[in-house]
Amino acid sequence: MPMLLSGADWATALVFVPLLAALACFLVPRAAGWLGLLAALLILLATLGLVQGLLADGPLRVAVGGWGAPLGIDLWADGLSAALLLMTSLVGLGVSVYAPGYFAAHPEQRRWFWPLWLLLWTALNGLYLSADLFNLYVMLEVLGLSAAALTALSGSATALNAAMRYLLVSLLGSAAYLLGVALLYHGYGTVDIALLGERIEAGAVATTALLVMSTGLLLKTALLPFHFWLPPAHGSAPAPVSALLSALVIKASFYLLLRLWLDLFSGLGGLLSALLPELLGLLGAAAVLWGSVQALRQRRLKLLIAYSTVAQIGYLFLAFPLAGAQVNALAWRAVLYLALAHGLAKAAMFLSAGSLLQFAGHDRIADLDRAVQRLPLTLTAFVLGGISIMGLPPSGGFVGKWLLLESAFTQGRWGLAIVVLLGGVLAAGYVFKVVGYAFTPTEIAQEGEAVPLTMQWSALLLAFGAILLGFSAPWLWPLLEVGAPFMQPVAEIGMAALKEIGAIPAAVVTGSGMLEAEILAGSEVGTGRETWIGAAP
Amino acid sequence: MAWLSLLPLAIDLVLALTLLWLAWRALTSPDLFRAVVLFIALGLVLGLVWVRLDAVDIALAEIALGAGVTGALLLAALAKLQPAESQTDEVAMMAPIALRLPIALLLIALLTGLGLVVWQLWVPAPGLSNLVDARLDEAGVAYPVTAVLLNFRGYDTLLELAVLLLALIGVWSLSTAPHLGDEEPEPALAALSRLLAPLMILVAAYLVWVGAYAPGGAFQAGSVLGAAGVLLRLSGWRLSLSATGWPLRLVLVLGVAVFAFIGLAVIGFGQPLLGYPQGWAKPAILTIELAATLSIGAILAALFIGGRP
Repeated sequence: MPMLLSGADWATALVFVPLLAALACFLVPRAAGWLGLLAALLILLATLGLVQGLLADGPLRVAVGGWGAPLGIDLWADGLSAALLLMTSLVGLGVSVYAPGYFAAHPEQRRWFWPLWLLLWTALNGLYLSADLFNLYVMLEVLGLSAAALTALSGSATALNAAMRYLLVSLLGSAAYLLGVALLYHGYGTVDIALLGERIEAGAVATTALLVMSTGLLLKTALLPFHFWLPPAHGSAPAPVSALLSALVIKASFYLLLRLWLDLFSGLGGLLSALLPELLGLLGAAAVLWGSVQALRQRRLKLLIAYSTVAQIGYLFLAFPLAGAQVNALAWRAVLYLALAHGLAKAAMFLSAGSLLQFAGHDRIADLDRAVQRLPLTLTAFVLGGISIMGLPPSGGFVGKWLLLESAFTQGRWGLAIVVLLGGVLAAGYVFKVVGYAFTPTEIAQEGEAVPLTMQWSALLLAFGAILLGFSAPWLWPLLEVGAPFMQPVAEIGMAALKEIGAIPAAVVTGSGMLEAEILAGSEVGTGRETWIGAAP
Repeated sequence: MAWLSLLPLAIDLVLALTLLWLAWRALTSPDLFRAVVLFIALGLVLGLVWVRLDAVDIALAEIALGAGVTGALLLAALAKLQPAESQTDEVAMMAPIALRLPIALLLIALLTGLGLVVWQLWVPAPGLSNLVDARLDEAGVAYPVTAVLLNFRGYDTLLELAVLLLALIGVWSLSTAPHLGDEEPEPALAALSRLLAPLMILVAAYLVWVGAYAPGGAFQAGSVLGAAGVLLRLSGWRLSLSATGWPLRLVLVLGVAVFAFIGLAVIGFGQPLLGYPQGWAKPAILTIELAATLSIGAILAALFIGGRP
């Protein structure tokens, strides 16, 4: 059957469906709920279409306006972008189903939530699809502004303060990023990532650009010591917004950092590109430990989950020292698994916290009062999300941590391995602290408000997603290889490790060798991309 | 007459020093009103610097948006802050010296590094201006800046328009509009605005039209239009209640909506996304610019008023 729509059409839809839906929601607030839900379904459909196209035809490059880089702007989609787009559309759909129930009591908040959230979605999709450094800056601006406005939605003094601080941090980060873009354009005469990757040379210009852009993006990603703005912002926003901020917004700036590192800076060599991954790994390890300990000390549920995000961001940076030398690209796949699993699990946890908040009217952990019996679905969602955060099998978080450990062991980096394990133990501590109080009755029995089933089920399904991610390797793995975003095909050790934990049925690997064949096909597509770029002016 | 050749250098030096001085004064001024006025002056001088660098478009945008609109927004914000302002203890606001010293050192190191890099880039890599010139005749407009903004990199501009709208949605989500200009306006202001507003609308229309072959375009025209709206509002003119609902919202989204609609509609004619068909570039760009000017003007005026109607 010939495809009715091409990959380019799906990519276009991913940016323009949320954009037009945002305009429509702003124009006709009364229909916003239905429009938003319809948009969410269409975006999921477009993402699946794009993934299908990528698996069939390899990576996608679209020249907007037909001009082509370096004159025009190009869109680019490979396995890395597709995986994050997929996670975004799943979490986005979950939150879109959840939001009407949550905002039912606050019509004024609901009215502004939809246009802001759909513009945020436009920015996320646009960012994952862009191949142009300046276009990425514009996307970062849309992202930061809509995220800050969403944080302030409840209008309380705490939320306004947190949103203002978030806005300033976000603008500072964008400005630093833009400075780097200006330097690169002046130095190499293009802002297309692929062309820059060909032209960039080690030297003062590249080093300075690397430093300012990384600093700006680290500010936005909230890696320790830049995490100070995150807990108040994520803790005081309305629950659906907290879920979006923790699950999606943080990942966008991390993705951009990863993309820059992989495509522009990692090949430069020199002292700095040897030292920077070590520094990032050190900060990541500190974030894992410090964030987890802080989470254990919190008395409010949403702040606990927010500090858990600080810790989980740390995990993402543990891969830099492990993979920075390009010895072992396994660490990048580990990190991608962790990012996807964290997105699904953390969204489920924040949505559950929102349901508990609606139910009890507060989110004090000590006063949860038999929530297990009264909101079993919500507590199940919270625990399943927690299992993935802890890294227990068979969740997506487990696969990510296992690959990270495997990578650390083979390189003899015992320190990093201990941090990975210790972070898991601490995570178990704060998840079980919540569960324990949810089983305990308080002295004065508390009344609860009814919580709509849409809110409970959307959280639960997202949590199931985080668990199912652990079984997804057979089809997620080939997708990740489209366009070879990690430069080199899967190392032997990667296949062995996956077989060991049962993420890939042993028959697939050893028996038919089908998976290897697919992966090889992926890497050939990668070479095709390079020749394509070489042919460009 | 050898000294004449030194004149441009002297002008540049004076401009650069004035810029630094104004920036320093604006940052250190304890009086916020004074700081805002200094900031506006800084924007004007910065506009002159852009003129000296042969970037007339950026100069126009800097003066209209950087100095004019931003200055007006800052003054409006200041007016709202005034009642809540308390006597702040200056000593308490100062960070401890142990914190200020490392920050100062860090900033000096950063500035030195940047200076070094800019020095290395004294002769920048050939940019894209040759490529832009080579394909200008396909772009539908004769002026390169407009060609880049509305055609070569139209995707960016579409999203920048969305950023403006987003800023307004953010402001509207937070508060309702204050009752501004309810009191009887001063007669001089009312007379002046009756004279100026039509003139400003005319200037805006001219700026859109001239953008096809000379400095100008939707952003500059929109800011003039926005200023006209602010002036009218200050002199007591208000939108009728029936117009502040969906008609106003329609004007606000018009720019993004028309741009997106045209960008998608061309796909139906076998063109790529945002790729205007042969011969249709000029009318398409003009339509988009007109819609964008209306929206930008309305958004800027609404931002100044602050809060949803």
